[in-house]
Amino acid sequence: MRLDFSYKQTWLHQINPSFKFILIVILFIHILFIHNINVMINYMAAAFILYVAFTGHPWKRLLIISIPFVLLFVTSSASMIFFGQGENTWLKWGLVHITEESFLRGLHLGFRGIIFATLGVVFSLTTRPVYLFYSFMQQLKLKPKYAYSFMAAFRLIPIMIEELQILSYALKVRGVQHQKGVAGFFKKLQSYSIPLLSQSIRRAHRIAVAMEAKHFSATTKRTFYYQIGFSKFDILFVMYFAVVIPASYLLAIHFPYFPVTDVRFQ
Amino acid sequence: MAAITSIKNLRLKFPGVESLLFKDFSLAFKKGEKVLILGPSGSGKSTLLQVLTGIIPKSVEVPMKAEEVCTPDSWGFLFQDPDTQFCMPYADEEIAFVLENLQIPKTQMESLIRHYLEQVGLDLDDTHTSIQTLSGGMKQRLAIASVLALEPDVLFLDEPTAMLDPEGTRDVWQTMKKVAKNKTVIIVEHKIEEVIDFVDRVLLLSDQGEIIADGSKQQVFSGYKHVLAEQGIWYPGVWEEYLLAQNQSRAKPAIDKAMPMISLDNFSGYRGKAKKIEVNRANAYPGEWITVVGKNGAGKSTLLHALMHLIKVKGTYQIFGNDFKKLKTISDYAAFVFQNPEFQFVTNSVYEEAAYSLQLEKWPQEKIECRVEKLLRSYKLENRRNDHPYQLSMGQKRRLSVASAIVKQQPILLLDEPTFGQDAKNTFSILEQLESLRLLGTTIVMVTHDSNIVKHFATRYWHIENGKLAEDGSPAEYIEKEALLTAVD
Repeated sequence: MRLDFSYKQTWLHQINPSFKFILIVILFIHILFIHNINVMINYMAAAFILYVAFTGHPWKRLLIISIPFVLLFVTSSASMIFFGQGENTWLKWGLVHITEESFLRGLHLGFRGIIFATLGVVFSLTTRPVYLFYSFMQQLKLKPKYAYSFMAAFRLIPIMIEELQILSYALKVRGVQHQKGVAGFFKKLQSYSIPLLSQSIRRAHRIAVAMEAKHFSATTKRTFYYQIGFSKFDILFVMYFAVVIPASYLLAIHFPYFPVTDVRFQ
Repeated sequence: MAAITSIKNLRLKFPGVESLLFKDFSLAFKKGEKVLILGPSGSGKSTLLQVLTGIIPKSVEVPMKAEEVCTPDSWGFLFQDPDTQFCMPYADEEIAFVLENLQIPKTQMESLIRHYLEQVGLDLDDTHTSIQTLSGGMKQRLAIASVLALEPDVLFLDEPTAMLDPEGTRDVWQTMKKVAKNKTVIIVEHKIEEVIDFVDRVLLLSDQGEIIADGSKQQVFSGYKHVLAEQGIWYPGVWEEYLLAQNQSRAKPAIDKAMPMISLDNFSGYRGKAKKIEVNRANAYPGEWITVVGKNGAGKSTLLHALMHLIKVKGTYQIFGNDFKKLKTISDYAAFVFQNPEFQFVTNSVYEEAAYSLQLEKWPQEKIECRVEKLLRSYKLENRRNDHPYQLSMGQKRRLSVASAIVKQQPILLLDEPTFGQDAKNTFSILEQLESLRLLGTTIVMVTHDSNIVKHFATRYWHIENGKLAEDGSPAEYIEKEALLTAVD
């Protein structure tokens, strides 16, 4: 079984991976300090623009990947909407107490979750792991020992998916029927994880030996096949956020969707 | 001439094992020699290669002591498993990884990558090709290319073709003969048919880790044939001798063609939406042994998966006159043995494993015991009854996977390359077990690459080409076709 995962190169792919990584982490931290739901909505739109228009992946794949976003939204907003504090009661039913404040705060949390997810997915869809780790070694001085371990591990993933398929056939052929409930789940977990893990551990060990047999060592210097540098696209990436973030605030002030500027309960 | 690599009085022991694997073991290789090391599994052949290169104890920590270990200045190591020697996802990146280790400047890399790929005959349109899309033989040749990038004087090969089909095996050895002419080559290998004209010295180890024989190939092969046979090594002519020894002309009993066991009509199997295998019309009768042959990726395993209804199928498929859709579970009628036995094990002991299907059927305890005991005895596993299946040797695992599959005595047995990677002794013992099942009337459908099995054990062969059953003939016809093909060559 081979997964087709081809895509078009866009400017997001050209950005220096370490730079992209750090910038997105900074954005994550910044998002934590946004309490105005109007800003959050505009921000979310800006993140969506990147996701929809510039990842270079076919729209069908983007659509499938975005399905969990809905789940994320529902789970992160629901508990706040149902149980959060507030004064302006809309509905009260047993423990469930929906107020205007809790509703908006719930939406706010849901949007925040979606922005996190969108930016994270944009990053992973536009960054080849190999380039990321080359960039980490070159710009962030990550030790090759760790970088190559991760790159080797990525190679094991498709092999494991293939094995999972064979394993599920094998269990079916042996007539393994899993019981329902928690005990059944653990039984199932065991029957899958032990063979998969034992194969992977052996494989990892062999790869490690093979790498050292090819004179890989943690101590000597090395040259790099890919020289990852900076380009105008890095500036473009910063500019994008330098424009959309102030724009989000401005729009929020002049054209608010909700008459609330701070969703926190005072 | 001085030795290029040698060890003197090596003592080595694996943790948890009682006896020493090597005791006062000494060995030396001269420059330019092509040496083949033979020995039964567990005799420490691979360990020896790793000590000679310094992988033990530098990379793999194993307690050892030696008066002197002289490792070559530059060496390359080719491993058995094509999937576990690469750490990068693309062909060019993998060779670049070696060049990086050697601190070769980036500007030279591209031309060097092309150069090494050319040397091993890998004509990739684009050097940036995903390793995952290569066949096993191509992966091994890529591994040779990345080893050559080390510019080694000495090459160590640890069963490089054990996991390849005949075509891949041939390609690898042809490449090796071309690129290693002026190098010292030390080879561990079970399948020696293709290597034999390449080496000039043969070393034979015992299962105690001692050297039984060391000399030219003529000396070793004429003087120690009985040892080779005993150890299950695939020496040239092993099939002929086996067949001669069997002598009692294995008269294949008349196949009862009254009622087909499996009857296929316009049958096809799908993976997702894509049709992967198609059979216009085919029947298999009780007591038949059908070998499924064809190139890698032609759809041989897919056919078995379709027969087991593991994938979506369309068309007519009858088992003993009953439509398969009306049967509650196909596993009551057909047993399936996978290529990797470990995936099939679902319990924690050999006994439990063999008894598993019967316990699911809720057989009475005494009946299970009786059946399983008999089965374990005939598959020579009775002494390992309480061990975990993973602790068994390669051959034992394979036997257990067959035993636990057929415990219900299903009339159909499907096998996916059951002799793959097995030594001669294990292979013959599996084939004999299957033959005795066939004589009882079991229909065997088996995927294999081994043309000797098609010729000497099968009663029929199916040739799969591009996802279609293209030929359905007798072993005699297969031999004729093969002779025709070699004549063309």
